[in-house]
Amino acid sequence: MSRSSPTGIARSPLARFIVTVLAWLPVTFAVWYVVAPVLIFVVKFLCMLAVLPLGDLVSEVEQNGASLLFVTTLRGGQAAQAGGVVSVSVNGLLYSFGMPMFAALTLAAREPGRWVILVLGIVALLPFAAFGVVADFLKNVAITSGPLVASQTGFSAAQRELIAFAYQFGTLIMPTVTPAIAWVVTHRGFLERMRGLTAPR
Amino acid sequence: MLRFFILFLVVQATLFGLELTPPAQHWFVEPWTYALAQISTAIVTFFDPNVVAIGKVMRSTRNGFAVSIEAGCNGVEATIVLIAAMLAFPAPWKNKLVGLAAGIVAVQGLNILRVISLFYLGQWDYKVFEWAHLYVWQALIMLDVLVVWLIWVRTLPGARDDRAPPSPPAVATASA
Repeated sequence: MSRSSPTGIARSPLARFIVTVLAWLPVTFAVWYVVAPVLIFVVKFLCMLAVLPLGDLVSEVEQNGASLLFVTTLRGGQAAQAGGVVSVSVNGLLYSFGMPMFAALTLAAREPGRWVILVLGIVALLPFAAFGVVADFLKNVAITSGPLVASQTGFSAAQRELIAFAYQFGTLIMPTVTPAIAWVVTHRGFLERMRGLTAPR
Repeated sequence: MLRFFILFLVVQATLFGLELTPPAQHWFVEPWTYALAQISTAIVTFFDPNVVAIGKVMRSTRNGFAVSIEAGCNGVEATIVLIAAMLAFPAPWKNKLVGLAAGIVAVQGLNILRVISLFYLGQWDYKVFEWAHLYVWQALIMLDVLVVWLIWVRTLPGARDDRAPPSPPAVATASA
């Protein structure tokens, strides 16, 4: 029976890296939660650009902390009787929680220029967060709000299918996969050293 | 690297699209999600007999709290990402198959821990449950996928084994 020494784990660069990532995660999650309104402020403008091709469907996008409220020109249900319009609130945190993961991975890798990589990576992830937010909004008005509201949007059956796919992809895959891809792309040298293809620094 | 990313995205989008089709949901996703609830409940009953599984729902018979395992919480999407990453990476098929088998077990194993932990976090504090459910565990599962992939990449032919003793210095010696 063989016994592994505790120093064996400490000596493995991958194990050390994983432990460091886990140590960074609570910090990066806390920072992300605090600065989320700033990040969502940028996401809001990206969303406003994204809904431009939809004509007058969205009259305004308002920010409330980390949430975005899409005020539409659609009328439906009790809102129509009261002369009101349909508005949809989307939680921006749901589409940006991969950012603290990217930050923890980047800080744990300790590559030269990691702070620049961190900022550029977060900036690169913002459009993907906007994609998820807009897909969530569209899913609400085109599918889950019911036929009375959906019929006013003018989306065809095929477009509604596409919106459903975009929503699922934007919710289930994108928030976690895009930060992982961004990290792999920006840490190719680190990955090669991890694999042992190049000499350690 | 570009070839890897293109292949990764194509395989991932294809598998994800397939997953959303009614036959895949009916024959694979739903049975797996039900099985996940059963497995999680079976593990929990070792220390807490007041838990039952009804379909994809885990329910406490003591206080009525229940969690329903929905899309995104059954580990299927994380498994799809792992499959895409291993299939897209240039490696012998034998390594890919072994990596997939071990990797899927690792990802689903952690996912069972997620389901069980959320079941108890929800009974303790709903705000903590929401945070863990919506943000923290999602990130941890993807981190698990990334770590499994990194470990697998290190086992591929050509990768250096850090555990091996260092080779002696190449010094030419002449024997008399």
